[in-house]
Amino acid sequence: MRSLRIRRVRKGMSLKHAQGSKAAMRVGVPRALMFYRYYPFLKMLLEGFGCEVVASPPTNLRIMGMGTDLCVDDICVAVKALFGHVRHLEGEVDAVLVPRLVSVEKKDYDTFTCPKLIAAPDMVRFSFPHLPPPLEFVVDVKKAPFWWGCLRLGRRLGVSLRGIARSYAAATREQRRFEDLQREGLLPEDALKRMENGNDGPPPAYASAERDVTVAVVGHPYLLGDPLVSKRLIHWLDSSGARVLASTMLSRRDLEREARKLPDLSWSYEWELLAAASHFMEADGVDGVIYLTSFGCGPDSLVTEMVRREVPNPHGRALLDLVLDEHSAESGVRTRAEAFVDLLRHRKRARSREVEKR
Amino acid sequence: MRVAFPHMGNAYIPLRALVEHVGVEAVVPERPNRATLELGAKHAPEFVCLPFKITLGDCMNALEKGADTMAMVCGMWACRFGNYGHVQHLILRDMGYEFESLLIGREDPRAVWEKVKRAVGGGAFRRLLGAAAVFRAKAAAVEEIESKARFARPREERRGDTDRIMERYLTRVDEADTIRRVREIRRELREEFSALPLRDDDDVLRVRIVGELYVLLEPSLNFDLVRRLGAVHGVEAQPILSTYRWLLSPLWLDPFLHVSSSRARRVSRAYLPYVLGGEEHMTITGALDAPRQGFDGVIHAYPLTCMPENICRTVLPHISVTRDVPILGLCFDEHTSTVGTNTRLEAFLDMLRSRRGRGRNAKELEAEGVLRA
Ligand code: SF4
Ligand code: SF4
Repeated sequence: MRSLRIRRVRKGMSLKHAQGSKAAMRVGVPRALMFYRYYPFLKMLLEGFGCEVVASPPTNLRIMGMGTDLCVDDICVAVKALFGHVRHLEGEVDAVLVPRLVSVEKKDYDTFTCPKLIAAPDMVRFSFPHLPPPLEFVVDVKKAPFWWGCLRLGRRLGVSLRGIARSYAAATREQRRFEDLQREGLLPEDALKRMENGNDGPPPAYASAERDVTVAVVGHPYLLGDPLVSKRLIHWLDSSGARVLASTMLSRRDLEREARKLPDLSWSYEWELLAAASHFMEADGVDGVIYLTSFGCGPDSLVTEMVRREVPNPHGRALLDLVLDEHSAESGVRTRAEAFVDLLRHRKRARSREVEKR
Repeated sequence: MRVAFPHMGNAYIPLRALVEHVGVEAVVPERPNRATLELGAKHAPEFVCLPFKITLGDCMNALEKGADTMAMVCGMWACRFGNYGHVQHLILRDMGYEFESLLIGREDPRAVWEKVKRAVGGGAFRRLLGAAAVFRAKAAAVEEIESKARFARPREERRGDTDRIMERYLTRVDEADTIRRVREIRRELREEFSALPLRDDDDVLRVRIVGELYVLLEPSLNFDLVRRLGAVHGVEAQPILSTYRWLLSPLWLDPFLHVSSSRARRVSRAYLPYVLGGEEHMTITGALDAPRQGFDGVIHAYPLTCMPENICRTVLPHISVTRDVPILGLCFDEHTSTVGTNTRLEAFLDMLRSRRGRGRNAKELEAEGVLRA
């Protein structure tokens, strides 16, 4: 049973295509949540489908404020940011695309992403009555392969099968490039920038191996990749002279290696964080780990405990829990980040002095 | 083996019967209250949902009472509940308690069964069958007591009659040790309730309560919402979930439950097409059906930061408008005060009364007439 409105909008859309209207459909992609994971893919795919892709600008105070006003108060910051971005795009575009990620991997038990990622399009649909319902792009790997979602999206936009196949291949290439850039030590933000500008430039300063302390940041890409949401955590670490690694830089293989040490978890993305934390606790050259969570995040509230109590920490590395919310000031994160780097530096010096004495 | 499990409403009655009839000692901590919640909240992660905190407090009480095995239902779900047991036991162990975990649904069922067999010795399977029968009988009895009380409470002539009967019968069901005895008790219960003098007026407001399972069913979390609505405000409150439903639906013992929840999934699909791992389908369906079932309004109760219910909150305003049904959202956490909740509740009930006073249109009356007939 679908509501009438949805059907009418659908009809309107196919009509537009049938008439062969020249103006391409403008599709907005909010810069929130899965943007930081899949944007290059989605952009290539939608452009291949003949749409014009409009990404919302990096989160700013106005966007965050709109999101906070629109949302119920005890939802996580990430969803608030999503709402702000959708509001920003409203009026500028013909439709928005909010991916629906139900499950992203196949395991021998049931896996999910997070209820809010599963229901994100529904929340948007009911909170923005003037916007046509978001385009459906469903990833439910447990039930159907990843390309199935692309196929359905393409068919809905009236694209031929061959057109879909071609865009899918191009989009996959693009996505691989994006992931490779991240593996090389770029944060999602910088990788995106680099893909847009096309130049290679010098690597960013935070990735330099010359620095004396190394901090690994573990958190969802939409938290650590969004400077406003993360209150410029990366910048503060960078400016206090630390080398920054992030969970987004790890490859699937790095994560799988940790599986043995960890409990089963039904949330795929949280499992990745758990594995990343475990990786950084053991990997060479890491001095401390920051575990980044969002206030009101459901899965993280439990996974934080698992990170603290269950992830093996053979080298006794320092662990900092950082909870982000939309109210607190930047200075809080700044102070804590700087103090953390100082602590690591201090410890490291003390340790090397001990070694020298011996 | 001394097994303990956390409280949820009156679920302890059938659960205790189940455990004891299998031949294992059950440790039932005292009913949770605000102190239990505070105890749990002190040791729980800060923004975890409320049920986690209170059940953690409950587990601590049980361990203090000498339990050596903690049972908890777990699973691989999209919501947090599936991981409660695992994380709670981590926390409890770090606090220095020693016990064995019985994570039902997470561990291999055969392993769980081996543990039980080791504890009770021979004839375990036969005993389990018997225990399941008693469990079911008691769950049904509890359900009957609760539903009779929900109806009678707002209509009772003398205040407190219903609660007195309810308390007495709950204790009796808890103490009964055979199915036959439970059946007798139910017969007496029906007699007693039909003898109870009730006011015969049609003015009683009826509200549907939807929301998160634990907040709906655990009086210590929702400030005894159902009872208070009945006794103090004279309103008939019908939660959409019940202990019986929660206990029996995974066991396939009652086909009716299965039909009704698959209908709920179907009906709510237009709003939330994917399973979120909580009670979202019941919340949506409950709100959609409320006018048709003759309810004046809906109360949506949920714990702070609850994921599925927060998602429902974006959908419910839409339903409230299109179905013309007033919905009140009540959020609960360890800092919620009775006063604030009460004020909002009273304002809401006043609104419902005045809506009624304005008269309903013929269609609604007809729909209700059909329902009453
Ligand atoms: S994982 Fe946490 S932060 Fe991400 S959408 Fe879910 S609740 Fe929000
Ligand atoms: S339904 Fe809500 S209260 Fe229950 S486990 Fe999920 S988030 Fe927590």
